[in-house]
Amino acid sequence: MNERHGNGDVRSWRKAYGLALSLFAVEVMLLYLFTLRFS
Amino acid sequence: MNRLDYVVLIATILAIPLYGLWRTRGSASLGQYLKGDASIRWATIGLSVLATQAGPITFLSMPGQAYESGIGFIQNYFGQPLALVVVCAVFVPIFQRLKVYTAYQYLGERFDRKTRLLGAFLFLVQRAIAAGITIYAPAIVLSALLGWRLNLTIWLAGGLVIIYTVIGGTKIVSITQSYQMIVILVGMAIAFAVAVYRLSPNLSLESTLSVAGKMGKLEAVNFSVDPHTRYTFWSGAIGGFFLALSYFGADQSQVQRYLAGGSLKESRLGLLFNAVVKVPMQFFILLLGAIIFMFYQFEKPPVYFNQPAYERALENGYAPQLMALQTQFDNLFTQKRDAIRAVSDASPNERDAAMTRLRELQAQAGELRNRTRAVLTQAGVDPKSKESDYVFITFILQQMPHGIVGLLIAVILCATMSATAAALNALGTTTAIDFYRPLIRPNASNHHYVVAAKGLTAAWGFVAIGIASFASLVENLLEAGNILGSIFYGSILGLFLAAFFIRQVTGSAVFFAALFAQTLVFVLFATTSIGYLWYNFIGCAAVLISAPILQQTLFRSADAPAGE
Repeated sequence: MNERHGNGDVRSWRKAYGLALSLFAVEVMLLYLFTLRFS
Repeated sequence: MNRLDYVVLIATILAIPLYGLWRTRGSASLGQYLKGDASIRWATIGLSVLATQAGPITFLSMPGQAYESGIGFIQNYFGQPLALVVVCAVFVPIFQRLKVYTAYQYLGERFDRKTRLLGAFLFLVQRAIAAGITIYAPAIVLSALLGWRLNLTIWLAGGLVIIYTVIGGTKIVSITQSYQMIVILVGMAIAFAVAVYRLSPNLSLESTLSVAGKMGKLEAVNFSVDPHTRYTFWSGAIGGFFLALSYFGADQSQVQRYLAGGSLKESRLGLLFNAVVKVPMQFFILLLGAIIFMFYQFEKPPVYFNQPAYERALENGYAPQLMALQTQFDNLFTQKRDAIRAVSDASPNERDAAMTRLRELQAQAGELRNRTRAVLTQAGVDPKSKESDYVFITFILQQMPHGIVGLLIAVILCATMSATAAALNALGTTTAIDFYRPLIRPNASNHHYVVAAKGLTAAWGFVAIGIASFASLVENLLEAGNILGSIFYGSILGLFLAAFFIRQVTGSAVFFAALFAQTLVFVLFATTSIGYLWYNFIGCAAVLISAPILQQTLFRSADAPAGE
């Protein structure tokens, strides 16, 4: 039971890290589009 | 500044520490004093981590950096989100599991006492100097422009921080930082809105940004692999990753912030909050600088933003030279304003010619500023900080409405107080836990260590103020903190990564590897001109490569890792 809970916890955190990095990737893409638009 | 500004300023900077003192009233155990308590949630941790990193230099110098060189500096933060994820996944669980007060305690558990003391010592040296610069940086600019006495400004900002940090420990630092950060974000948002509102009514925001971009101010992302290009995606993503990993994983001033909640979940969420908001926040601060640049294309700026230095040169008999430069500058300003309108109104066929003309005028304006600086140096009023550090504060004092001026000066002082409080809290804790407790009084009561930590925090406060009083050699405020950190962080990070990932190395091998790496970075710093972000990588790599080599050669017969 604990192991299953632990694995679920690890998966949840992996999703959270993935979400944070995906948002950062979107931020960089928007900055790049901003650069293309105004430079 | 008028009376309203002073009321807003004093109320803002006093109200937050007073509220913090009320929230943390009553005596605290050693654990509560050094780590806060479980009531600290992820939002407080996130804002506290953000405030510790930001500091006054971010808000004072960064708009000036964009004014001068554009917003490309944003790329220095591109390594941070990934570094924060690594800290969440690797560093935080270990620190939380071992229930350490300082990151360096872990080095003692994994290796030996001398390695723990080396890591703690390197941290103390660089953080004490950085704390001095953090107090000095706004004090030199504010005292020059507002006519305050430099030492009084340093003592007022530093003294208030010492009082509340010593009394309330980690919990008051986290609480005050979160409110100070809210004041900072609100203040900067108002500054941004006013700057946009004050732009030329003849040019839309889009046209303004378009011209700013063509004048080289809006290149946020540059994928160039040319090593001579100062800010690129690659140097920011790779060098910035190692800087951020060292800073968030091995600098006690940050480790203490995210361990404050006492729960793995709250610590991780606080750090992930930073991974998401840091880049947008820095972007808007830099964009504010670019907008101020465009504002001064239509509203005549001073020929030299450090006006106190300029006025001293006038008094020293250099008025004829400076007046001649001022006349040329005035003519150039009018021509440049017309050239910008020409660019904006030009048909696509005419735009290139209009842009070429504008760039020529911009280069001439830069040349005039250089000549003005040369006259100031000749006059013996050599400015002690970069001219660009005076751009944002000049804009605040000359263009913002009263009340907002007071709020924005409070923003700069709040940033000083929050970054300094985190540094003093960490310096006092590290000295108490890593040096005083094991080496001087190993078996005293918890109450004794709380008193010792308070005394040591106060002592480091006075050291930081002392460093601030003699920090006049620092010219580039924005870069100084990062350069200093980069010199020391690589070898500290190497110690931690060796501890996590290289099982066979023991304390002696990693200790001498770190000494070698630190010496190597000192030599490179003194003899080469490589970008400072790379020192993080070089120092770290030197530890990770040389530690196993030393282990296999000189320390082959050494025992398995020792504990404390």
